Amino acid sequence: MINEQYRGARQWSRKRQAVATVAWISFLSAAVATMLFFAVFDPVDLAGLLDLDISRDPGYAIGFFFFWAISALCSGVTAWLVRTAPKRDKKHR
Amino acid sequence: MAKASQKTDPQSAGMYASAEKIYPREQKGRFANYSKVATLALLGIYYVLPWLAWDGRQAVLFDLPARKFYLFGLTLWPQDFPYLALLLIIAALSLFFFTALAGRLWCGFACPQTVWTEAFIWMEQWTEGTRSQRMKLDKAPWSWNKLRRKGGKQFLWVTFSLWTGFTFVGYFTTIRELGPALAQLQVGGWTLFWGLFYSFATYGNAGYMREQVCKYMCPYARFQSAMFDRDTLIISYDEARGEPRGSRKRSVDYKAAGLGDCIDCTLCVQVCPTGIDIRDGLQYECIACAACIDACDSVMDKMGYPRGLVRYTTEHSLHGTKTRVMRPRMLVYAMLLLVLVSALVTSMVTRTPVILDVIRDRNALYRELADDIIENSYTLKLINQGSAQRDFHLSVAGVPGLVLEGVDSVITVAAGDVRSLPVRARAHRDDAYGIMDITFSVVATDDDGVVVVEDSRFIGPMP
Repeated sequence: MINEQYRGARQWSRKRQAVATVAWISFLSAAVATMLFFAVFDPVDLAGLLDLDISRDPGYAIGFFFFWAISALCSGVTAWLVRTAPKRDKKHR
Repeated sequence: MAKASQKTDPQSAGMYASAEKIYPREQKGRFANYSKVATLALLGIYYVLPWLAWDGRQAVLFDLPARKFYLFGLTLWPQDFPYLALLLIIAALSLFFFTALAGRLWCGFACPQTVWTEAFIWMEQWTEGTRSQRMKLDKAPWSWNKLRRKGGKQFLWVTFSLWTGFTFVGYFTTIRELGPALAQLQVGGWTLFWGLFYSFATYGNAGYMREQVCKYMCPYARFQSAMFDRDTLIISYDEARGEPRGSRKRSVDYKAAGLGDCIDCTLCVQVCPTGIDIRDGLQYECIACAACIDACDSVMDKMGYPRGLVRYTTEHSLHGTKTRVMRPRMLVYAMLLLVLVSALVTSMVTRTPVILDVIRDRNALYRELADDIIENSYTLKLINQGSAQRDFHLSVAGVPGLVLEGVDSVITVAAGDVRSLPVRARAHRDDAYGIMDITFSVVATDDDGVVVVEDSRFIGPMP
């Protein structure tokens, strides 16, 4: 017999799921946002507007992390609000 | 195989036991071979592509500092952005098309998460052995053997991850210069950062997170079912044939004993990289890697039963109805794909390989020169997107007697280069008053068909 006592695959805790999902989805969104944004705008031009001296490589990186932070903030707060919302009572279900 | 463990931990006795690591069992077979071919081919493309050369430069290079993408004979500029958008839409539509047709082919065979996980599992098997050896090793106390095997695995994983990160950066920086630069410790900070970042992501995703990425983090895994219908190819257990499942001796007439074809060996569960039981029906965790088909087929062969107790099938065919491949949904996807692909190809083939940007000097509206001449200044950017050096003529029209100063009669622009041209346009005061629309045009000297026209304004004194 090859049957083993199978307890089901490992599962992440809710917290871990939330953290990983928020980090990953905001990462993907940031990647898309960075691509779209810098296809139109040149980081050197943008830095020039703000009177900063930033070359393209760090410019792209700053843009990417900015987008990542913003999207992580957005999806993180959304996930948190959804998860901590008060439960609806029975008569409304 | 090892005997079933009788120990039951009260904390994890339930169906949703706390974390249990998945040790996917190695499985040979038809689909395992397909998967091996797909993995090797895709990894091969990824690792080899940046090393290819084209016309003396790297064939595929996303040169971000220069804002130019090289794809073999093609050079793409920020102005070519619509192509990228179109390409992304085509990619998304293809995913819909293939999902509706054949289920999660992408997940099982082509997704980077699957491909790199597969490669990492190979390394795990080389160093730590088979499934049962790996389980035993993890349970065993630390010993020289365990240290050697675990250390070997980590060494392979880390080296492979670093190489992956290095290759990733090699798509954005000339990869042939990257190696020597690395050896002399002269790599830029950002290059190093992105390389290590990508290495770490590879190591974490393929080494540790694995199926959890598909289960918890992948949006496609959640919404792909919306593209499924009863004619979509899925991997399914034939319940009517298999049940009631149960172990039996080969010599027994199991049909007389009231048993189905499933011998309940659980091999299909052991080989599953996401740790599900395909016999429970279609589940969103299933990435359609078809390992359970291989496992079940090998058992059916041993038992002398026909193959296909677990197989690629459709819901319609499982219930005895005919499967329709050509259905409205498929036709709509196919038509849309056809239209978009032909739009992309046509626009790429017919695109003018020249771009002209005109920026009016903002410091002064106009200058008044001697003899009632009005002058406006512009900065022209002439971009040659072609793969050869080219000569151009520049002309301007829109105001009677308008002439250009400070411009050569023939402007030469090297392949893939940008020429910045400070240009002054002059007209007589009688002709130029108020705001007038003018057009700059550039024509290639060797081909009248290569023309770009750009609008601008000429400003004179108010009449």
